[in-house]
Amino acid sequence: MIETIRIGHLLRETALSPYRNLVTRPTGAAVRTRIEDTLSRSDCLTALLDFSDIELLDFSCAEEIVAKLLLAQATGRPRFVVLRGLRDDQHDAIEQVLTHHRLAVAAMVAGSGPVLLGWVPPDARAAFDCVCRLGRACAHDLAAELDWPEPRASAALEALTLHRLVRPDGDLRYHLLVA
Amino acid sequence: MTRVIEVPAHFDDRSFDQFAAGFGAWPPGEKLLVDARAAQWASPYGLIGMLTAGQAIAEAKGERPLLTVPVSDEVKRYWARVGFFRHAAELFELHGRVPKASATGPSDVLLDVTPVRAMEDVHQVVEKISETASRILHGELGLERNATMRFSMALSESCQNIVEHAGTSGWVAVQVYTFRRRLGRRVAVIAVSDAGIGFRRSLESTHAKRFGERWGDGAALEAALIQGVSRFRDPGRGQGLAGIKGFLDRWKGKISIRSGTARLAIVPAWDDDLPLADHLPFFPGAQVQITIPAQEAEAR
Repeated sequence: MIETIRIGHLLRETALSPYRNLVTRPTGAAVRTRIEDTLSRSDCLTALLDFSDIELLDFSCAEEIVAKLLLAQATGRPRFVVLRGLRDDQHDAIEQVLTHHRLAVAAMVAGSGPVLLGWVPPDARAAFDCVCRLGRACAHDLAAELDWPEPRASAALEALTLHRLVRPDGDLRYHLLVA
Repeated sequence: MTRVIEVPAHFDDRSFDQFAAGFGAWPPGEKLLVDARAAQWASPYGLIGMLTAGQAIAEAKGERPLLTVPVSDEVKRYWARVGFFRHAAELFELHGRVPKASATGPSDVLLDVTPVRAMEDVHQVVEKISETASRILHGELGLERNATMRFSMALSESCQNIVEHAGTSGWVAVQVYTFRRRLGRRVAVIAVSDAGIGFRRSLESTHAKRFGERWGDGAALEAALIQGVSRFRDPGRGQGLAGIKGFLDRWKGKISIRSGTARLAIVPAWDDDLPLADHLPFFPGAQVQITIPAQEAEAR
């Protein structure tokens, strides 16, 4: 199950105004708190954060919303987080703050497959693309697809699992938006 | 005794040190007269620099300074249209006839002189600029459309620095004009200034020890702009300036930050500014200028 959260809607509720720009740390922190509240009441394993109503996302808000939400996964009930509706400049802001923290998140891009924003080892990035293409994969599948030794494929899948970029089920690793 | 501080005829980031030198020690002990009669032109940096001086004197409980307005009608009209006199009247005793500001500002002004006192003001500034930024940055300067958003991000982060670090309020203005001497092209300029504690005092408790005897205004600017440090312990801090640097690198832009007695700049190939200027005349707070040049025709 997936919980879709419209960030633009939360922003307007939080700021009590018709803003479409996610700027300033206090605003980002307030929106993150609303996201966490929503997730705390949800049984869904995956949170799909929809940024399509947002005009501007500055670095402070990217840090407060996305980076701190992912950092909180380490302590609270862990969820899978996927982003949607981002424009290029918003990608850049999120990429920068996540790379700074050595975090990563999956983002859905209209007209193409999911992309990975932030930092993971290079093998994990290649493995992510492969799992997204296949929908699901075990180390054996990945090794065959990428022409890697199986331990290398296994390590790459493990890195993706640690970053919560794939959903594990036994030996298989699923793309996050595959039911 | 009244100390007279002459406003340079061409008042921008280059001539700012001449203006700062006029104040002597801070806070000034004498009554001040800021003499702008001979002013022929002032950049947004110059205009908000004057307001910052007035604000710093007011906050130091100094005597309200005098300001003589420019003789040139054209200059006066322009300063009125960008909102300078409206704010200056609260900080200075104005001498000379001040024209009424027209309802709409000049077309090359992206953002009038605007006070930044709280985070809510940052929202207002970003909202306001989004109406015209795309038309000017894309239409006139030839930047890609998505550069408009990155420009607004740079503006947002610069203004937030005032609220988070200065300990007082500040000013912002954004304008497009032609850099004739340095570049021969149009540029968009964000100028941000505050009368606050400056980079050195903001970072002192957390970073001075690491620098030892080197610690000072220049080292503090270096720590913030080059090393990306912040006074906050939160490891995610300091990324606003890092993000601005990335944007400037892509668009061959320049950032220069003056604080206390030093100025640090990331200098693109088209400019000949010093990367670090130290032992400058003291000026309170911090002054930031971000310059984005029009893209050359072949690059478009």
